[in-house]
Amino acid sequence: MSLEKTLRSLLGDDKVSTSYLERTAYSHDLAPIPRNIMWLFNNLPDIVVRLRTLEDVVAVLRLANKFKVAVTPRGSATWGYGGAVPTVGGILLDLRGLNKIVSFDEDQGLLTVQCGVVWKDIIDFLQKTSWDLPVYPSSAPSSTVGAFAATGGFGYGSLEHGSLVENIVSITIILPTGEKTVVGPDSGWVTLKQLLGSEGTLCVFGELTLKLAPKMPSTASFLAYFGRLGNAVEVANDLACRTRPFSLILRAFGFVRGQERKGLFGLEDAESGAIIYGYYTGMPGEVNESLNTFDEMTVDKGGVVRPREEADFEWNERFYPLRIKKLGPTVLTSDVVVPSNRLSEMIQYVWQLAHDASMDVEIETIWTSQDEVLFFPLFLSDERRTLKYLSHSAITKKLIDRAIAMGGRSYGYGLWNSFHFTASEPSRRKEFIKMKELLDPNGILNRGKTLTARTRLGLPLPKVLYAGFMETLWLLGRWF
Amino acid sequence: MIDALLSKLQREDAFACAQCGYCVKWCPVYDRSGWESASPRGKVFLLKKMLENNGSSLLTSNPRIASEFVQRLFDCTTCGRCTEECHLELDLLDLWFRLRELAVRQGLAPQSVGLMEKALLASRNVFGMDSQSRTDWATYTGAEVKVQDKADIVYFVGCVTSYSGRSQGIAQSITGILNHVGENWSIMHEEWCCGHPLAVSGATERYREIAEHNVRNIEHMHAKVVVSGCPGCCLALREEYPRILGRELNFKVVHFTQLLDQYVTEGRLHIPELHATTTYHDPCELARLGGVVDEPRRVLRSFVKKFVEPEESGSIGRCCGSGGLLKATNSAMSGDLAEKRSAMLQRTGADIITSACPSCDQNLAEALSKFQDSKRVQDLAELVAQQIGLT
Repeated sequence: MSLEKTLRSLLGDDKVSTSYLERTAYSHDLAPIPRNIMWLFNNLPDIVVRLRTLEDVVAVLRLANKFKVAVTPRGSATWGYGGAVPTVGGILLDLRGLNKIVSFDEDQGLLTVQCGVVWKDIIDFLQKTSWDLPVYPSSAPSSTVGAFAATGGFGYGSLEHGSLVENIVSITIILPTGEKTVVGPDSGWVTLKQLLGSEGTLCVFGELTLKLAPKMPSTASFLAYFGRLGNAVEVANDLACRTRPFSLILRAFGFVRGQERKGLFGLEDAESGAIIYGYYTGMPGEVNESLNTFDEMTVDKGGVVRPREEADFEWNERFYPLRIKKLGPTVLTSDVVVPSNRLSEMIQYVWQLAHDASMDVEIETIWTSQDEVLFFPLFLSDERRTLKYLSHSAITKKLIDRAIAMGGRSYGYGLWNSFHFTASEPSRRKEFIKMKELLDPNGILNRGKTLTARTRLGLPLPKVLYAGFMETLWLLGRWF
Repeated sequence: MIDALLSKLQREDAFACAQCGYCVKWCPVYDRSGWESASPRGKVFLLKKMLENNGSSLLTSNPRIASEFVQRLFDCTTCGRCTEECHLELDLLDLWFRLRELAVRQGLAPQSVGLMEKALLASRNVFGMDSQSRTDWATYTGAEVKVQDKADIVYFVGCVTSYSGRSQGIAQSITGILNHVGENWSIMHEEWCCGHPLAVSGATERYREIAEHNVRNIEHMHAKVVVSGCPGCCLALREEYPRILGRELNFKVVHFTQLLDQYVTEGRLHIPELHATTTYHDPCELARLGGVVDEPRRVLRSFVKKFVEPEESGSIGRCCGSGGLLKATNSAMSGDLAEKRSAMLQRTGADIITSACPSCDQNLAEALSKFQDSKRVQDLAELVAQQIGLT
């Protein structure tokens, strides 16, 4: 029996599609792929399957191993690195149907959910309980728990509670061979840390048990405007150390397109300054004290503390950083992790890149710890201007290169950033290769991602070729 | 073809869509189907692919793919929830209408659309019934109907209320209440279908002549206000006619719940208390698209013992599945959506489920009849008239 027929008999006709229209709808993620590059990959899945149970995942992976067909797991596809985009066709697993809250232990604050549960649904579910989510992504209204766990797990709440890795108790995983097993702190043969952030290449997360944070009696949002970006960075860094908010965000705007500025311009030249905003949780006295510190530090550095209702508004808008896209209409970005003490330097570099490419840019920075920030500049471009867009896309390489040079790293790799894995995290990559060989002998799961960018011909794209191509694009973009 | 029909802004929007998927989980059709191509995000992505391929190649080059895409366009209740959820504020609803127009012009629309258009234009009602029998509801229900040359208020009855036996009680109730409060009102001498079904189906070619007829007749009656119990008719008269005719109209258009609210607030209508727990289903075209959310609630709260809100209500109300011509193009899907909404309404524990749209009332009633221990669905106008003792 053919693969398609077997899948249909296993899952039912209404859960399997080979329609061209459907496969096209699943052939992408958040980031538009430059057409001139995409021919290298076969991003059109051959078959899309919608799964509803862990047993479905087990059955499909077993079958894929038998047929040696590539499998791409997909949540809501809200990442922009190609992690959920096929490179060699194959089977695409739509995991959003695994969307049940499995159990809630209110005494212990433990919540077990299936991988397709959307973060915002958990936030809503917990509203009437005495627990909160310790960490969740900026795309919480649509992104799924499994996908966030597979892609790094830094987000709102990380400053206070760490990454998702630190807030997961156990996971039921399905290995590429179709074996189902539970991984917890005492699993022995593999650690949660090894699997979380593995970008769907080592296993599919089936069910995850999250350790919740106790709901605190007092919460408050805060917001300040700064005319000088440098002061905003200074205050935010101090704030992260002295008051430890639940979340702390800095946003700056560098609208430079059409301006005749020449040469490097620094933090003081950015015309629109910056805002910092965030959220405190804690005991009433604690939160008040933190707010007082915030007020004092802001005023001391020439900032303006905004009223609480404005702060609430900004905090409630935290899921919408992509609003700016309407001005693009395309946004180019790459999330990088940067040491917080080098943030000013990084921002200056981004201003320079934006200036050189005549691109507008908005910078979003989330503090993930006292020492590190998740930095994602949103460069505005236009994918309809094919060559220009292609040259603009080189900006992501430059951004990651600089982050690595500063002691930071790429936040994730997927398809497009896989070239940076060695330079970013050499020892983790070595370990990753061993794990991949061990767990996925047929190399079916998320083939051609994270470790290499494998083309449709089965050959990895050489890093030197990628680097040379990107740098050439960048230079050509400047000249023309 | 796409270039000609879509505005520059709409073509931009297809590229501006962040593909964030925030709209996806709220789309009732996606919720039922589960396939990406059924979701607003999926459809925008497919449109973008067409635009990248210089216009309509996907729609024209492969008939099978084209028909599949068009099916997705018509598997939509045009409830507007996607527009409400879009944080980039893209007007997706208008985009769906324009794409349906494109499908109609290319002869790709479902057969039921063509049949509806033909029937509507021939008989001036959406059912293709005898136009002479449009006011027979008055005879059937015994309503005291006024037909005057001039009136302050024109009651625009609408096709569903006029012709559908289950909905004629709404017309009876509305006319009864208008008489009860002593309004100077009238129905039209010759009411035609408002044309809203043409607008939502994309068969807009002859919409203008319908709008012209209705507006000319209403303006001849020197009416200050046009009232309807049908949110679709209200949208047509208030939003679509001025756009089609390119001018402001000389009358105000309100839904009957707005008039009811005014009567209650002004003390012109006293409704005896109803000892029952009641909930309210927001018709999408009244609440989300028409902005009428508080008025029906104020009316209900003024006389029911207990009012309970269902989940997903107000401007984020869950569609019952009757909109966007879905009942005609995919009745099974429409029925499934109605069952889902009915279950939400049942969960409120209310004794009575009210709404304010003849199509919603019907779809919900059909779905609720499948539940054991099902609740009553009544239009708010009917409930009020019944409480006052007018019906």
